[in-house]
Amino acid sequence: MPSKGKPAKSRASEASKSSPQPTTTTIASATQPPLPPTPPSDDTQTVSDRAKSRSAAARPLDTLLHQKGGALSALSRQDQSAWLAARIASRLAKRPALAASATTTGGGAAVARLSCGGGPKTLKEAWKAVNELSLPLRAVDSTSAAAARKRGYCYRNGEGDLRVKEFEARWEKKLVLSCLAVESRCFRDRRERERRGDREEKTGEQVVVTEHEVFEETRRRREMAALRRELYGGGVGKDGKLATDPEWDDVEPVVLEEPEGALAAIAYPADYAEAMAYLRAVMQAKEYSERCLRLTEHIINMNPSHYTVWLYRAANVFALKVSIPDEIAWLNRVALSNLKNYQIWHHRHLLVENYFPTIASDPATLSTFAAAERSFLQQILSQDTKNYHVWSYRSYLVGKLNLFGDADELAAIEAMIDDDVRNNSAWSHRFFLVFSNPAHASPGFAATEADPKVPAAVVDREVEYAEEKIRLAPQNQSGWNYLRGVLVKGGRKLGSVGEFVVGFVKGLGEGEEAEDVMSTHALDLLAEIYAEKGDKEKADLSLTRLGQKWDRIRVGYWEWRKKCVEAPA
Amino acid sequence: MTDAPEPAEPSLDIDRHLKYWRMCLQAPLPIHYLSNDGNRMALAYFIINSIAILTPPPLSASSSSSSPNPEQQQPTPPRRKQPLIPPEDRPRLRQWVLSHQQPGGGFASTPTLLFPAAEKGPSSAGWEGETGGAEEGGEEDDREGACAAGLANLAATLFALQLLALLADEGDEAGAFAGVDRARTLRWLRRLQRDDGSFGEVLKRLPRVGWFIGGGYDMRYCYLAASIRWMLRGDVREGEPGWVGDFDTEGLARYISRSQTYDGGFAGSSAEEPHAGYAYCAIGALSLLDRPLHNSTAAYSSAVLHSGIRDVPGLLHWLASRQFIYLEPSTVDDEEEEEDNFLLPQSLADLTLSENGRHVACNGRCNKVADTCYTWWVGAALANLGHRDLLDWTSSRRFLLEKMAHRIGGFGKHPGDPPDVYHACFGLTALAVMGEPGLSEVDSALAVPVSTVRVIEKARAALVERARDERRSLVTGALEMGLAMRGEKPSWLSAVGG
Repeated sequence: MPSKGKPAKSRASEASKSSPQPTTTTIASATQPPLPPTPPSDDTQTVSDRAKSRSAAARPLDTLLHQKGGALSALSRQDQSAWLAARIASRLAKRPALAASATTTGGGAAVARLSCGGGPKTLKEAWKAVNELSLPLRAVDSTSAAAARKRGYCYRNGEGDLRVKEFEARWEKKLVLSCLAVESRCFRDRRERERRGDREEKTGEQVVVTEHEVFEETRRRREMAALRRELYGGGVGKDGKLATDPEWDDVEPVVLEEPEGALAAIAYPADYAEAMAYLRAVMQAKEYSERCLRLTEHIINMNPSHYTVWLYRAANVFALKVSIPDEIAWLNRVALSNLKNYQIWHHRHLLVENYFPTIASDPATLSTFAAAERSFLQQILSQDTKNYHVWSYRSYLVGKLNLFGDADELAAIEAMIDDDVRNNSAWSHRFFLVFSNPAHASPGFAATEADPKVPAAVVDREVEYAEEKIRLAPQNQSGWNYLRGVLVKGGRKLGSVGEFVVGFVKGLGEGEEAEDVMSTHALDLLAEIYAEKGDKEKADLSLTRLGQKWDRIRVGYWEWRKKCVEAPA
Repeated sequence: MTDAPEPAEPSLDIDRHLKYWRMCLQAPLPIHYLSNDGNRMALAYFIINSIAILTPPPLSASSSSSSPNPEQQQPTPPRRKQPLIPPEDRPRLRQWVLSHQQPGGGFASTPTLLFPAAEKGPSSAGWEGETGGAEEGGEEDDREGACAAGLANLAATLFALQLLALLADEGDEAGAFAGVDRARTLRWLRRLQRDDGSFGEVLKRLPRVGWFIGGGYDMRYCYLAASIRWMLRGDVREGEPGWVGDFDTEGLARYISRSQTYDGGFAGSSAEEPHAGYAYCAIGALSLLDRPLHNSTAAYSSAVLHSGIRDVPGLLHWLASRQFIYLEPSTVDDEEEEEDNFLLPQSLADLTLSENGRHVACNGRCNKVADTCYTWWVGAALANLGHRDLLDWTSSRRFLLEKMAHRIGGFGKHPGDPPDVYHACFGLTALAVMGEPGLSEVDSALAVPVSTVRVIEKARAALVERARDERRSLVTGALEMGLAMRGEKPSWLSAVGG
């Protein structure tokens, strides 16, 4: 019966399924709703277009009205009344409770007035027209469809622009992802049951998650991550190495969100941002574990310069009582691939500080350790001969293990100077080895201070060594600085090497032709030697010639030195 | 007429450098800065400091408060169109800096290890590092726990303070340090000092090891500690409100003094090789220990500096020796990569030729290569010793502008290198400290514009004043309470049997 309220429902769905029809100008007379021209195949049509055409098919009279320019008067009289009837009926259809009571006269009249201002008769006619024309009433919610039309249809992630076939393929992937998610959920449940010590329902045995299951889950997570990335794009802490690793399931990563006004932001790679998000989480939870050690290793591989990460690693090493030699072996590999990094050496320093007391009373272990350290230092210095942090560590180690008198250490340094006489790092280390040796040096003496305890033989040896190396490269300041340093340390006059120095300076002040200087550093020292002797004139001449000719870029310095000779401080 | 006239002196292309810094300010830094993720506060300082140096205030010579009528001043250069950092952005940028402050004092060096405050409440005690014993130990234990986590970093703390001053609101310089926990930062600073007087960069409690001062033996930490102390401590005397125990300044001076090496330079300790950066830090630290608190940009003679360096002539010799004539590497024989910008002439007489010596570079250590930043470390170290004239500035300036300045702006590390924020900043500070026209005047000991040093002085004074007031109101409160009771035993006390 027309007054039943939901009469057109089944027909509406039929209408939307009906086969393509040629466009008709008058719907009421043709009794069939119009459909757009033959739709394109699934290869070319986008899902958004398909939705539009379906919506149009479900609302034939609205579509017609739209085509006629929106003026009701442009429609035929029959279509006008059909359009009106459809409107009334669809409004009624949206109020099922009221529509059901519309059979009673009073109620029906109220509804009719409510919906279109007419009486029960109008209502009856409207239903009749709708039924006869098989107009769809609730195929698509007209108001939300209108809103969607304004928004260009509400497909997300650009799905509206996909071809139908592509869209279906995408649906298939979503389906696969859902299935994997269900399987993954099952895995987590099983593991949870294992933790609780539950028993298998069938066998009654303890639930055990096998390695194979974990392996399968890891593989599954990767597949899910790849699908998610493809379907929805990537995201920190969602699809990275750690998020797909079941080991990290219980950790909620704390993702860094840069506020507006953040300075010096860096374009962090996704892997790094993910790892830091997990690091924040475990640091906050004060977790010390094997996986934390692995996490720090993972981050150090990406960025070896984050001191906080190193300190957190150290905390884990000590908390877990990791064997220090093992940690040092690991560190060697990291050091060799990150030559310029200095956090590595701080970490090593800290490890040795805590390792040393445990082996201090065991000479055999101690000497094995010293040999292993030296061999590694030689390996790394052969690749980067002047690495400041390696040399700093080396001097620390010499002090810590008392290697001053160690013949191997001195020999190793001599070999490095032989290899490159200009390696000032090696010269500095030699000075430390020789003149801080507690066997003959006074404790607490500054490097620039004469130490009466240093034996004359040691001073002689070092003077000779420096002179020999200076002859190889007279313009190498390292040798000259060393020579002067040794003389001061030994409490000797600079003039004690006057004869040697003067050999590098010929015909000073005897004219452009006669004057030849093989080393500005020799002339520099010579000026000091003259001043020491009280020969101000010669000192002044040496400094003048340095500023005038031999070392003009330092003319300001040589002028200052001349003033000092005139009026010693 | 000579047929080879001397080429004109190069000029500094300020707009080009600003363009480079605009890029660094507005876009995320590229991925090769990842290794500096742990030093983002430093990167921020390089960026903001460089912009401040490149955009001197219109009346940089006098402070704005003492010039009531700017119209009557002599004509000023036209203001740059749009300031790179709009005044309205400054509070937000300062807020970012302050968000790194740690509950136990000091600042963290990177936001990557800051926990979102909203989720954790005001205390960061949740961080790794045990709390001081009891699990629920109250606020002080929370702060101790935060300290134990070791996130506060010495360098980050200095850079944060410098940034706050660089980003101060115009007209409210005294408010630059608002929000800085002066007392806790100074107390934390004190705990970073080792028994031998040296400083570490972090303080952390390690499981089964205990409190650990991390960071190795490094003269930089001594400098940073002295700077932070100068910026925050003020002239509060013991017993006065706002007083915080000082670190062992004599111990620090002794440590520095002992770190001079046999050749006159400075290293992390005398057991190591001297380094120009460390020499700068040693000199800077000593001079900051007795730097006046007010009008500090006027010349002063630091007694600590002069008594703290055993061998001043040796140090000057070593610093002057850092300069060398930069010779263009020949394309034919450059097998030795290490030496290709530290070329030695065939014979010394070659150096007397007029075309050689146009460019003078500095290295950081004996027999090492040229690097932009050492012109700053050496030049500023000499400036701090009152010996600017020992640097061959004309040729050093040419080296920076002709060999190190990059066509996209900024300075690289080695000749031909692309710019990076560290070298681009210190290239500018080197020029500015030597009085390059068009740049802000830079303080050689604090490495910020002189106008920023004045901001720091005002901001410190305001912090100290606030600390005094807080204590005073506490004391007055207690006094008033005592007066109200007129020294009588309160009735409730008798009631409970007291």
